[in-house]
Amino acid sequence: MISETIKNTPRAIIPYITAGLPSLDKTGEIIKILSRSGAAAIEIGLPFSDPMADGPVIQKASKMAIDAGFSLDGFFCHLNGWCTSTHTPIIVMSYINPVMRRGIYETMDRLKACGVSGLIVPDLPTDPMDIFDISSTIGLDLIRLVAPTTKTDRIRQILDQCMGFVYAVSVKGVTGAREDIPDGLKQQVKSIKSMTDLPVCVGFGVSKKEHVDDILTFADGVIVGSYLIENIIGSPNPTGAVRKAFSRLIE
Amino acid sequence: MKGYFGEFGGQYVPETLLPALEELEVAFAEACLNKRFQEEFNACMRDYVGRPTPLTHARRLSGHTGLDIWLKREDLNHTGAHKINNAIGQILLARRMGKRRIIAETGAGQHGVATATACALFGLECIVYMGSEDIKRQYINVERMRLLGADVIPVTTGSSTLKDATSEAIRDWVANVDNTYYLLGSAVGPHPYPTMVRHFQSIIGAEARQQILEAKNRLPDAIIACVGGGSNAIGIFSAFLEDPVELIGVEAYGRGNNKNAASIAFGLPGVLHGARSYLLQDKDGQILSTHSIAPGLDYPGVGPEHSWLAYTGRVSYKLVDDTDALAAFSLLTRLEGIMPALESSHAIAYLDKYGQAHKGRTVIVNLSGRGDKDLHTVLGSDL
Ligand SMILES: Cc1ncc(COP(=O)(O)O)c(C=O)c1O
Repeated sequence: MISETIKNTPRAIIPYITAGLPSLDKTGEIIKILSRSGAAAIEIGLPFSDPMADGPVIQKASKMAIDAGFSLDGFFCHLNGWCTSTHTPIIVMSYINPVMRRGIYETMDRLKACGVSGLIVPDLPTDPMDIFDISSTIGLDLIRLVAPTTKTDRIRQILDQCMGFVYAVSVKGVTGAREDIPDGLKQQVKSIKSMTDLPVCVGFGVSKKEHVDDILTFADGVIVGSYLIENIIGSPNPTGAVRKAFSRLIE
Repeated sequence: MKGYFGEFGGQYVPETLLPALEELEVAFAEACLNKRFQEEFNACMRDYVGRPTPLTHARRLSGHTGLDIWLKREDLNHTGAHKINNAIGQILLARRMGKRRIIAETGAGQHGVATATACALFGLECIVYMGSEDIKRQYINVERMRLLGADVIPVTTGSSTLKDATSEAIRDWVANVDNTYYLLGSAVGPHPYPTMVRHFQSIIGAEARQQILEAKNRLPDAIIACVGGGSNAIGIFSAFLEDPVELIGVEAYGRGNNKNAASIAFGLPGVLHGARSYLLQDKDGQILSTHSIAPGLDYPGVGPEHSWLAYTGRVSYKLVDDTDALAAFSLLTRLEGIMPALESSHAIAYLDKYGQAHKGRTVIVNLSGRGDKDLHTVLGSDL
């Protein structure tokens, strides 16, 4: 259960990595390292050709993974092994098109069968009833995003359908490291927490230990993506680089 | 369901944008009911854009193809294409909404030029995203946009064409949603864009219908328009959907199989840029790169309403490749003294095939734009 794990982890950091960067084998090694280094859960992003909610770093990572031959068949071949190699819950992030191409039910069913705990889709339709129903039938948590612009009525509607944890988007904008965390974030998280018992985790823009420390005083967890991926892309030894970069945050 | 054409359309966007889409939907609905807004739009169309555009009887082309051909002259609009109708309509809306920073994507540069023009006219900040490949092939339009005061930002991600420029414009919008109006240039994107763009482009069909009735005292047998995202096509089709008139959209067949931009012919339903429509994609749902000699058609998707019209069979969608489009460019130039945009040349090119099977029929072709922007490409070809 993702929600329990996050609640029971005092310093809940959820690393985000791109599947197939730099290769599917390396992704498997990176998962083990992150798990051993104390990740509360691990979010694995499926590379997509047109990642509309992502900034330059994850765009580049996605392109590198696709150019290196990423395929869904290859991904699913490895996925079960990854999930059984660790007790850390695995969450998959995908844009909706690849999910729909294979069929929403088929994709979710397969993810569940491989041992995945949750799914995040950054471009869900306004009223994702089918997907919501399928996810509860299958028992795969559909983790929903709440943005800084989301109005209260809409937050309630999202929370009604949200499982695992609430993904609070910290900034108006795409993914990518930022210098500072936005002023209104604490208030935003507080107000979401007043409406739900689910843990609330903050993502987008988190890139420094100070950010993590600060956010964890008011949120249940943080998601860190671009900062780690930048380290993977920039290093001849990606596994070592991830270990080092992640340990800087978790200390 | 709201914003759907059958199974196509919808709003598949990052959560951050939803309130902005709602605000837009409300503002557009209010504007549609507001008489002063309609009058303001009509006055701009008449006094600034130069509407109504003529319906020209193409006598020599008619003789050449054995058809009775009429050209809806969107090339004679100010800035040289139909794109200005939508740009002006949406700028008036942005002003009503109090937005002063305007962003747009562009492929051929026609929508970018139209947006930059409308921004100059109303004194608004203008930022245009354009793929670096398109910047190369349509540099004249890049210079025009810059002269008009727009900031043209090259996009080098993905295939560096219209699809990537659109993604980048959406990313900008997500980051600057409070003060920014996203002026989308075709009948694509999340609801309410496809409906709104059709609304502003439907002036083409409304005029053409009246003009052909005046000229011939009857409706045409067929209407032909090129389809990129589908705004000029839906603009002219919209007035004839309920009539016994054959509607034909022409997609870009580029260099043939696997090197084209014909999303209806070769695509499967999928989601790109906020809506579900026919989409060129692989078995994993990755968007395929496209090719057309006409940058305005070089896009892997198509508007949701066209997807629906294809699905129901009301409109038939045909293919024209690069070579035939280039030949049609010179044919129209030589026979009628009209240089069409390479996008519009696709619609002209289909006349030949249509004429072989339907001698004597009356056909309106939507001449969506003029070809000055394409001289570079045409002169560089083996024509
Ligand atoms: C002259 C012209 N015609 C057609 C198009 C294709 O767009 P749509 O299908 O939205 O009309 C463009 C796009 O740039 C264009 O410039």
